[in-house]
Amino acid sequence: MPEILSDLTTVAVLASATMVPITLASVGEIVSERAGVVNIGLEGIMLLSAWASVVAFLIGGAGYLEAYMVGGLLGLLLGLLHGAISVYLKGDQIVTGIGLNIFAAGFTVLGTYALWGTFSNSPSFQPMPGIAVVAGVKVSPLVPLSIAAGVAAWLFLYRTVTGLRLRACGEDPRSAEAMGVNVGLYQLAAAGFAGLMAGIAGAYLSVDYQGVFAKNMTAGRGFIALANVAFSGWNPLVAVAGGYLFGLFQAAAISLNIALQEEAAASLINATPYLATLVVVVLVARRGFRAPRWLGRPFVKE
Amino acid sequence: MAAEPRPLVEMRGIVKVYPDGVKALDGVDFDVYRGEVHALLGENGAGKTTLMRILYGEIRATSGVILVDGRRVSWRGPWDAIRSGIAMVYQNFRLVEGLTVEENLLVYLSSLGLPRAEARRRVERVVEDLGLSVDMDAPVEKLPPGARQRVEIVKALSGGARLLILDEPTSNLTPLEARGLFKLIGKLREKGVAVVYITHKLREVVEVADRVTVLRRGKVVARVSRGSEGFNEERLAALMVGEVPRPSSPASRPLGGEVLAVKDLYVAGDDGSVRVKGVTFTVRGGEVLGIAGVAGNGQEELVEAIIGLRAPLRGYVEVLGRRVRSPRDFYEAGGAFIPGDRAKALSPELSVAENAAFIYYTASRALLLRPSRLASLFDKLVRSFGLKAGGPSTPVSSLSGGNQQKVLVGAEFMRGFKLLVAVNPTQGLDVATAAFVRRLIVEAASRGSAVLLISSDLDEVLELSHRVAVMSSGRIAGVLARGEATPERLGVLMGGS
Ligand SMILES: Nc1ncnc2c1ncn2[C@@H]1O[C@H](COP(=O)(O)OP(=O)(O)O)[C@@H](O)[C@H]1O
Ligand SMILES: [Mg+2]
Repeated sequence: MPEILSDLTTVAVLASATMVPITLASVGEIVSERAGVVNIGLEGIMLLSAWASVVAFLIGGAGYLEAYMVGGLLGLLLGLLHGAISVYLKGDQIVTGIGLNIFAAGFTVLGTYALWGTFSNSPSFQPMPGIAVVAGVKVSPLVPLSIAAGVAAWLFLYRTVTGLRLRACGEDPRSAEAMGVNVGLYQLAAAGFAGLMAGIAGAYLSVDYQGVFAKNMTAGRGFIALANVAFSGWNPLVAVAGGYLFGLFQAAAISLNIALQEEAAASLINATPYLATLVVVVLVARRGFRAPRWLGRPFVKE
Repeated sequence: MAAEPRPLVEMRGIVKVYPDGVKALDGVDFDVYRGEVHALLGENGAGKTTLMRILYGEIRATSGVILVDGRRVSWRGPWDAIRSGIAMVYQNFRLVEGLTVEENLLVYLSSLGLPRAEARRRVERVVEDLGLSVDMDAPVEKLPPGARQRVEIVKALSGGARLLILDEPTSNLTPLEARGLFKLIGKLREKGVAVVYITHKLREVVEVADRVTVLRRGKVVARVSRGSEGFNEERLAALMVGEVPRPSSPASRPLGGEVLAVKDLYVAGDDGSVRVKGVTFTVRGGEVLGIAGVAGNGQEELVEAIIGLRAPLRGYVEVLGRRVRSPRDFYEAGGAFIPGDRAKALSPELSVAENAAFIYYTASRALLLRPSRLASLFDKLVRSFGLKAGGPSTPVSSLSGGNQQKVLVGAEFMRGFKLLVAVNPTQGLDVATAAFVRRLIVEAASRGSAVLLISSDLDEVLELSHRVAVMSSGRIAGVLARGEATPERLGVLMGGS
C-alpha cells in the first residue's frame, strides 16, 4: 500500500515536471494564433533556447535565473523575427517555421561539437533546485507558473479589451484595421510572445529539468504543443489540461520503463505519451471553439 | 448650408499608383464642409473608393496632401483618422464576423481610448438618438446587410465622427432599407456631421447631396452644387461618362449575316428574382453591339445566359443558328468569351502557359498536353500580344493586371472565333494596354466576327460600337445607332424610369 502511494506520488511529480514545456509553448502559440500568426518553428526555438541557456550556464558563468533569461530572450528575438517576416514581409509563415526547425537542429549539434568536442551532448550539471511543492516534493517554480500562464492568457484573451482587439486580428485583419487596430503591431507582439514562451520552455528543459543539453532534446515537444493548440480549440485553459495529460502519460512511461528494465519495449513505451495525448485531447476537445479565420495567411492591402 | 471659411477636410493633388502600376488617381482635389452631404460620383473604377481609403488612412497616396481643420496630417493607419473624427463605412462592411455586435463596437471604440463603460453609454445614447434597433449580442455573421450597416453607423457616431464616409451605401440594401438610410443621413446633416456619399447612381445624388464632385478615370471632371444649373440627372450622367468621341473608328463596311440571336430572353438571378426581362437583339458579322448601363441591371445574367452558363426561364440564344444550352455549345459554335473578372478566369498559381492552354483548348477534344505546344503558345503571346512575363512557367499571380489580361485575351484570340462576347475588357488596365485590347476588338470585327461588348465604361462603348443598346432594370431601354448616341441621351436611358 505505501509503495503504490509513493509510486503515485512519483508519477504526479514527474507529470508536473514534464508538462511544463508543452504547456508553456502551447499557451504562447495560442496567443499568437489568435492574432493570426502560426509558428511551426516552436520546436526549433525551444531547441535553440535550450542550447543557448546551457551555454550561458556552463560557459558564460550565468546563474540559473540568468540562463533562463538568455533562453527566453533568444526565444523572444526568434519569435519577433518570425513575426516580422510574416507580418511586414508577407512571407510564408509555414516556410519560415520549417526554416527555424531545420536551422535549430543543425546549429545546436554543430555548436555542441564546437564547444564540447562531441556531437551528442554538453557536460551535465546539477539542474536548478526545485522550490515549489507538489505532493510533498519540491519541484520547479515553473510548474505553478506555467499553469498560471495558461490562466493569465485566458483572462487576457477573453476578459480584456486588448485581448479582444488581438482576436479581431486573427479573425479578420482587414476589418480589425478598419476599426482602428494596428494589426501589424499586434501580430508582431503576439509572435514575439509565442517565441518568448517557447524559449522559456527550452531553457526549462535543459537547465531546470535535465541539467544537460542533449542533441534533439526537445524530441518533438514543439510539435506536440502545436497539436495541443489546435485540439484544445485555441483555449489556453484546455491547453494546460492537454499539457498535463502529456505529462501524466510521459511520467507513466518513464516509471514503466524503470519498472520493466526492458530496452526493446522502451521506444514503444516512450511513444505512447505522444499518441495518447493526441487521442484524449481530440476526444475531449470543446466543440464550441474554432480556429481563427485568418490564421496563417498574410494580410495584404494593395 | 451656411458657407464656412474653412473646410473640415481638404485633399490636394492626390495621386495614387497601385503596386501593379494602375494609376487610380491623377491629381485629385476634394473638400468637405461641416453639415454637408457631399456626393462622390463616378463610374466603376473611377477611383472613388481609392480616394476615400486614402482619406481614411488605410492606404497611402503616392503624392498629395490631406488637411483636417486646415492642418496637414499624415496618417499611419486608420486609427489616426478615426481619432481625428473620420469614419468610413465600406461597401461590403468591415465588421469582424466571428465577434458579436457589442464586441465589434468595443474594438472600434477602444481605438479611441474609450473605456468599456463609457463606450457602452455612448452606444446607448446614439442608438436612442437615432431611434435605431440593434441587437448587441447577435454575432455579426447572423445579421442581414441592412443591420450590419446600422451597426457601422452606430459605431461611427458613437465614436464621435465628424465626417462619415459611406461607400456605395445602398448597393447591399433593399429599397426599404435605403429609404431608412436617406432619413438617417438627413438627421446627421442636422447634427452638423459631414457625409461623403460615394455612388454611381445618379438618382441618389439628386436625392441626398448638397454638392457633388464627379470623378472620371482618376480625375475630377466637375463640381456641382445643389441649386446650380447642372444639378440634374441628365447633366450629371454626361459628366460622369464623358464626351462623345468622333464617330469614325469602326469601319463602316457592309455587315455579314446574323451571328448572335437573342430572342425574348428571361433570366433569373442567384436569388431567384427575374433579372433579365424579355431581351431581344441580334448581332451580325462584322458588327460591334455595345451594351451600356449601370452595373447590376441584368447585364451579368444576360451574359451568363448567352454563353450557356445560366439556363433562361424563357426565350433562347442562338449562335450561327445553333441553340446554346451549355458553354460547350457556345464554344463549339465559334464563340469566344472575355470575362469581366480576370481574377476568376485565371488560375493564379498556375503558369502563364498553362493558363493560356486552358483557354486555348476550351473547345478542343484533345487529350494530351504537349510541352512544345505550351512553349509555342507562350511565344505567340509574347510576339503577337506584347506579353511581358518571365517565361512560360511564371505563375500568373506574379504578372501585372495588364499582362494577365493579355494572357486571357491573347489565348482567346489565338483560338479564333465567329462571335466575341467581351465584358469590361479594359477594366483596370493601363492606357496602352487598354488601347491595344480595343484595337484587337475592332480588328476582330473588321475580319467579319460579331462582337458583343458589355462595358460600364461608356467612352469605350461609344468608341467601339456600331450600335449601343442601353440596359436598365433587366430590359433594353433603347438602341441607338452610332451618331445618335450622345452621353446625354444614354444618360437618360440609363437613369431608367
Ligand atoms: N488593390 C488594388 N490594386 C490594384 N489596382 C486597384 C486596387 N484597387 C483598385 N484598383 C484599380 O484602381 C482603379 C480605381 O478603383 P476604385 O477606387 O475601386 O474605383 P471605384 O470605387 O470608383 O469603383 C480601378 O482601375 C481599379 O481596378
Ligand atoms: Mg468603389
